[in-house]
Amino acid sequence: MQQDFILNQWSVWPPLDDSGLTEAELLAFMPKMLKRRLSPLAKTVFCAAAPCLKKGEEIPTVFSSTHGELAKSFAMMEMIEAGEDISPTAFSLSVHNAIAGLFSIAYKNKVQSTVVAPGEEGVAAAFIEAIGLLAEGEKEVLIVLYDEPLVDFYPAEPFKLSANQRCAVALKISKTGEGIPLRFSCQSETGNDGEQPLQVPLLIKFLSTAQACLKILTPRHSWQWEKQ
Amino acid sequence: MSNMEKELKQLIIDCLDLEDLTIEDINSQEALFNEGLGLDSIDALELGLAIRKKYNVRIDADKDDVVNIFASVATLTQFIESEQMGKA
Repeated sequence: MQQDFILNQWSVWPPLDDSGLTEAELLAFMPKMLKRRLSPLAKTVFCAAAPCLKKGEEIPTVFSSTHGELAKSFAMMEMIEAGEDISPTAFSLSVHNAIAGLFSIAYKNKVQSTVVAPGEEGVAAAFIEAIGLLAEGEKEVLIVLYDEPLVDFYPAEPFKLSANQRCAVALKISKTGEGIPLRFSCQSETGNDGEQPLQVPLLIKFLSTAQACLKILTPRHSWQWEKQ
Repeated sequence: MSNMEKELKQLIIDCLDLEDLTIEDINSQEALFNEGLGLDSIDALELGLAIRKKYNVRIDADKDDVVNIFASVATLTQFIESEQMGKA
């Protein structure tokens, strides 16, 4: 399998340098009543995505997160165990598509939105979904990969499924247009580079440097991104 | 404003993450939902839970006139006080 696409724009949060807008500036467009619903993870997602979006633009989105708002779910489970009532707001914001929902409300983005919870294959799942949307005729797709450190209760090691920093990266891709031409392919080599939270830093390094090729190894395949 | 209204306004601010408001910013007669304060349906559920915890008063969506009870701080206060009176 091999697919070509153009990376029009990408951005990451926390930022790689201090040259861009601050969190407060990036979120200034949001009404206060909506902003109060943003968790630290949601803010990270919004800050990563904002530079990739034009005002009033509608774009299909593919979000991908291994753990989502698991910290919220875990806090609720602890409350249930203690016999307490759980907060309806916390519940509504804990589901895997909660951030995608807030995003569509904030940007009045009424087109298709998908939220992936990838396992061992990691970030490749979101690319497959987004490339599929391009193949169906969408002009552009916004991919947003995000995660935060796993709640201590869960064993992240030796499973390679959590990083120690909250992070999001947004990529706007298309079939044609200006940007970096990339070739995405699946290869037979296997290994274990860890799940999405550990893959995202590899992807950021590939995007932010002159590195020509990124290969991510998983127990079943490897996924390769090549700058053309 | 009555003590109960003050207390209820503080409860609204605390349980709905409205830290940048003070009780003076909320008018007792003003609409809580959509217009006015601009709360939404999730806020209604959250506020209903907070009222049940604090005042032991249950607002029953099947039985009570929820729309009118949640109309403003004044109508909510009236409902809670009349329920507490009924229990006393």
